[in-house]
Amino acid sequence: MINAYRHTSKWLVIVPVIAMLVFVVAPVLNIFSMAIQIDSFALLTTPTTRNVVWFTTWQAIISTIMVLLFAIPIAAITANFDFFGRRMLISLISVPFILPTVVVGVAFLELLPTSIHRSALAIIIAHIYFNFGLVVRIISNRWQQIHPYLDDVARTLGASRTRLFLTVTLPLLKKSLRSAGLLVFLMCFTSYGVVRILGGPAKSTIETEIYFQAMQLGDVSGALVLSISQLVVVGVLILLTTQFGTTNSAEFGQTVYSRIRRPQNLGQKLFIASIALMSTFAVLAPLVSVVRRSILVGERINFFAWHVIFTDPEIFKSLTTSLKYAIFTIAVSTTIGLFSACAIVYGSTRYKFLNILTALPVVVSAVTLGLGLIITFDVNPIDWRGAWLMMPIAHCLVAIPIVMRIISPTIRDLPNGLRDASQTLGATSWQMWRTIDLRIMQPALLTAAAVACAVSLGEFGASSFLVRRNNETLPLMISRLLGRPGEIIQAQAYAIATLLIVACVAIIGVVDHFGTDKRAI
Amino acid sequence: MTGPSGSGKTTLLRCIAGLEVVDSGTIHLSGEEITAKPAHLRRIGLVFQDNQLFPHLNVAENVAYSLKLQRVSKNLVDEKVAEVLELVGLAHLARREIIKLSGGEAKRIAVARALVAQPKVLLLDEPLNGLDPELHTRLLEDLGNLLRSRGTTTLHVTHDQDEARAIANRVLDIRELKSH
Repeated sequence: MINAYRHTSKWLVIVPVIAMLVFVVAPVLNIFSMAIQIDSFALLTTPTTRNVVWFTTWQAIISTIMVLLFAIPIAAITANFDFFGRRMLISLISVPFILPTVVVGVAFLELLPTSIHRSALAIIIAHIYFNFGLVVRIISNRWQQIHPYLDDVARTLGASRTRLFLTVTLPLLKKSLRSAGLLVFLMCFTSYGVVRILGGPAKSTIETEIYFQAMQLGDVSGALVLSISQLVVVGVLILLTTQFGTTNSAEFGQTVYSRIRRPQNLGQKLFIASIALMSTFAVLAPLVSVVRRSILVGERINFFAWHVIFTDPEIFKSLTTSLKYAIFTIAVSTTIGLFSACAIVYGSTRYKFLNILTALPVVVSAVTLGLGLIITFDVNPIDWRGAWLMMPIAHCLVAIPIVMRIISPTIRDLPNGLRDASQTLGATSWQMWRTIDLRIMQPALLTAAAVACAVSLGEFGASSFLVRRNNETLPLMISRLLGRPGEIIQAQAYAIATLLIVACVAIIGVVDHFGTDKRAI
Repeated sequence: MTGPSGSGKTTLLRCIAGLEVVDSGTIHLSGEEITAKPAHLRRIGLVFQDNQLFPHLNVAENVAYSLKLQRVSKNLVDEKVAEVLELVGLAHLARREIIKLSGGEAKRIAVARALVAQPKVLLLDEPLNGLDPELHTRLLEDLGNLLRSRGTTTLHVTHDQDEARAIANRVLDIRELKSH
């Protein structure tokens, strides 16, 4: 507890608690209470449900294994070698993870041959693309916490580089590989945008099936039962991720060592060059295909789609709607995240529950959140389903856990001695907070705001349930345009996707420039 | 080998061990030129100043590391590990986690690990640096006795002239090497 702020902290919990209780806890409890009233077991054991759950599980497993296999060589070069374009490569491989899932879906729809559209392979490829950058950063961070002299010792004891990797490096990376693997499995298990675009009716995961049952068939019962099963599985996965996420201080401190060195022989140079080039191609190819498709109509260059997206009233409205919702999400999620993080750090241990409360949207998943919101706020005086505010609120809820994860460490790690010094120099509590805490927090707040913006711009799951005639966002517009025939209309979808790519690349630039975790590569 | 801080003692050791690329000159061991030989094939042991024990392995597993790489049978591994742990007086710590070792114990384990591999030459990079005076004196004597009993050719690097004279058959200042 920070004594200087102990009186303020109790006021900081009010808004986050109300927001989470009303918009997350209440809808989830409503889902459970409605599910109890129906024959859930019978619905869970239908062949359709069993097939959906089985497909969701095995594609997530295969995707996870492939992501790890792709990520390890890239992490090996970024953690250990200095080479031309290293920092650019690190930024580049981070782009896919921050892209809207619907953009990743349309990119591979264009890039992959038609023969594998609507297939599990297409979904798995897209999952690899979406997640490998995140895993590279996780593993690379941990790798750089392994003292380079451990490698040297192993070599003087007779270990070749391969044996060194297998007997020293890999065991020390085991925990981070496990937690990264669980995280990726979670992402692939709850994948929605990619599956909706690339999977089609034959390849349905739990998330897309929830949407299909609730919004297409009008079978809310079926959707509820699937949501519950999703919640249970994700809840268990989150617990496992938390368990394996804690590092053993015996193995690692928080120190990052200077493992980076120039390649010493031709073999290393060739290895680095091949991995770097393949990664660059893998990241850029889908993005280039999106841009290409936006200006290619019937094998001819045509910029008409670009002209339309800035002049067509409907599309332009989506653009402004997305921007408005992004600004709302930045303001509200950053504020709630800041309040929560401050309450937890400044207050007594009784506010620690906010950690769990603000993490709930991760457990619930965006699709279940959307479903919960529309079945909860559907009676007067709280019939807010059609209210314009519901969608940006959903965006905030999805962003808050990520914002918390960015802001909290900065506040927590701030040396209390700085506050003490400020007080002894005459600062009031407010002055101290403004000149010390807020000042030091600024990079983290900027990063959190940038990421919240990306989340809002790309949010597709919850938005699918909350869309009305006048609040279609860019991802929803892309999905709708793709469902309509015509090359020009399809090109418009790709032009919008290109805009989102540009926005996300800019956000990555902001995050990397002002990144709070300087250890991160 | 003695010399002030920053004179290149550690760099020289790392070059001999094969951990640094040599810009010029050659390294010979027992009449064989090993300048281009990979580190893991040189059979030159190196004990670091901060020990660098593998945190994911216990004491016995750390000591056994090189033997397992050579695919020595389990019985022989156990026998050699027990023998060298007995030599350094830490047989009772075989199953201990590395993090629970004291400074002196960790130093002995690091030396034991290097010795069990039967290196042609053992390099010690300021092994007693930073230890309290009593531990320093005790370990200095133990180290000298251990290495003489094994007959291991050792290059002991230190900036402490007294330490060098106490333990070594021959003392060389790196500045004398550089002036040649």
